[in-house]
Amino acid sequence: MKKLKLSTAMAALTWATISTSQVAQAGEINIIMEEVPDYDIVAKLTDQFTEQNPGITVNFDAMPFDAMRDKILTSSLAPSATYDVIIIDNPWTDEFARAGFLEPLDKLISGQDGYAYDDFVPALADISKVDGSIYGVPYYNYALGLIVRQDIFDSKGLTIPKTIKDYMSVVKSLTTNDMYGAAMQPQKGYKIMEEWKNWLYANGGELFDDSGNVIINNQAAVDALNQYIETHSQAAPPNSANWGFDEALRSVSSGKAATMLSYNWMLPALNAKGGMSGDLAGNFTLHPVPGGKSVLGLWSWGITSNSDNKDDAWTFISWISSPEVAKQRAIMGGAPVRNSVMNSPEVWEKGYGKAYYSALADILDGSAPLSSGNNAEELIEIVGTELSAAVTGQKSVKEALDAAANGVERAIK
Amino acid sequence: MNAAKMHIKYKLILPLVFLLSGIMLYPLIFSAWLSLQDYRLTRINDVQFVGFENFGLIATDSSFLNAMGNTIIFVLSAVTFELVLGLSLALLVQKLVIFRGAIRSILLAPMFITPIAVGLMFRFLLNSEIGIIPFYLLKFGVSIDWFGPELALFSIVLIDVWQWTPFMLLMFLAGLEALPKTPFEAARVDGAGPWLTFISITLPMLRPVIVVAIIIRALDAFKVFEYVFAITRGGPGNSTETIMYYIYQTGFRFFRMGEAAAASILLIIFILLLVILLVNLSRPKVTK
Repeated sequence: MKKLKLSTAMAALTWATISTSQVAQAGEINIIMEEVPDYDIVAKLTDQFTEQNPGITVNFDAMPFDAMRDKILTSSLAPSATYDVIIIDNPWTDEFARAGFLEPLDKLISGQDGYAYDDFVPALADISKVDGSIYGVPYYNYALGLIVRQDIFDSKGLTIPKTIKDYMSVVKSLTTNDMYGAAMQPQKGYKIMEEWKNWLYANGGELFDDSGNVIINNQAAVDALNQYIETHSQAAPPNSANWGFDEALRSVSSGKAATMLSYNWMLPALNAKGGMSGDLAGNFTLHPVPGGKSVLGLWSWGITSNSDNKDDAWTFISWISSPEVAKQRAIMGGAPVRNSVMNSPEVWEKGYGKAYYSALADILDGSAPLSSGNNAEELIEIVGTELSAAVTGQKSVKEALDAAANGVERAIK
Repeated sequence: MNAAKMHIKYKLILPLVFLLSGIMLYPLIFSAWLSLQDYRLTRINDVQFVGFENFGLIATDSSFLNAMGNTIIFVLSAVTFELVLGLSLALLVQKLVIFRGAIRSILLAPMFITPIAVGLMFRFLLNSEIGIIPFYLLKFGVSIDWFGPELALFSIVLIDVWQWTPFMLLMFLAGLEALPKTPFEAARVDGAGPWLTFISITLPMLRPVIVVAIIIRALDAFKVFEYVFAITRGGPGNSTETIMYYIYQTGFRFFRMGEAAAASILLIIFILLLVILLVNLSRPKVTK
């Protein structure tokens, strides 16, 4: 019966199966990666791994984010995994672990000399723990921070806002005919959820209470959404109700907006000489989000439970995430996940300077994941759709949040 | 027809029957089976028969009803625009004397671009931050949010019209060129003007082609996915969420294959009824 169900699942995913590559042979590991700058760094560093471990061939399959979940699913449903090592986005962790797709790493971690697991930022490491077991080790963070045009703040004598109300007031004051206070990302789904949840945290809200009840339509959420909508209507560029990351980044980098809540590692890219910001490079600074508690994103390394090459997979993961290689990766521009890396004078000097790593440490210290638990991906989409409907005036704030609460309750059943 | 000939006839179509069974019938039956199960791709060892529960869940899901409504609006608007534009262009192109081949090729070009590329192209062309169209409109003082809640679905319709009007043009050109000349000559001799000729002769004689073109385009338009995926992801809110995007999201992002299959079955039934209705409407009324 199990085989029958497995075969029917595979039939349902024929389209994905056709496009996957082959199962790795002994002494070979296949790794699925997202095509982002951090992947390029990992690929470069892997040359050193291959030199040190000539018996292990590492094959990367890099692709856009949208293609990854389907491929991981297909690989995990097959008798033998196509991918021995996968990177896991934090909303997927519980779902994949409970589906039995991931190998617990506890024994491998405790048996690895010099690995210093406790050196990972606790908020990051905790994301990969499900029901008391560790299913992943941090790869790179995408915690959100407040990125500002420091030159504008200095010229107007403004201080960095610490509360959400201060932030609203500052960005409104910065908005003129040709400059906007905030480049926002109210695109439905992931983007608006990722941005708005910082406002929810600032108002003391959460998705669930301690007993697991859905509280996304309580007063804190209503206040957070009202403030978000007010800021979008008064300080964000017009016609930006469908903006995502790319549009907001372009608005800030081209000098049309003075602030944005975005991934902390965008700061080095914005300040890069000859980069996307042109003459504005060097004028951007990073700070904790107003309210102090940031939305945290994480990619982590995991081993698939149906991999035939688990030992080789762990040899690679323990090497790439080791303290020494983590430092090299950060110096080359990777987003750090270890405290020792963020506190290293060598990284400050050869990387992006002490100010960036200190700000990042502050951000990570008070951060919490975007969403966790079963069906987190669905939850994000449901809430993100309702938030977008409220921002664009299709629903009232209360209607949208009530619909979000109903949708979340249905999704987590 | 004798029994031996019948026998050969059936033998000859057997390969095609097997082929169609494999690529069409099996997925259809499998979908029907899926729609009656609580089948999640992350819980394939815990599949349970739930009867028609998935249909109940889908039918009461406001997102499904909204997606169905959006899709119907999209199909009606897009096919109507394409029909009118395609027929108008076909009548004009038919009369062309010079550059006929070149103009036909240019007009047909959008049809040969893959829809996901068209979606991405218009995403950038109409983007309020970097799009060339909003940029030039703004120079004339016109500020339009093409993907805002009021216009997003209409923008998706326009993109579809841009890409698929050539298909209508192609169908109608072939239809017009195949019409017999005699009725038109008789009408001219009788003194009928262009409008009367069009209404009384061209349209009725072209009716079978028009119906086939509408059915093909409507069936295709029901499957609209690429533009939504590439541009709006169903937003803002769920103002551009179409039925195929809903099914994709439920099945392949949320892994709820049972519910996605139930939505697909409901869609198939709806389309089947629509096709039957269209075919019946297209039959000429016979007066006894």
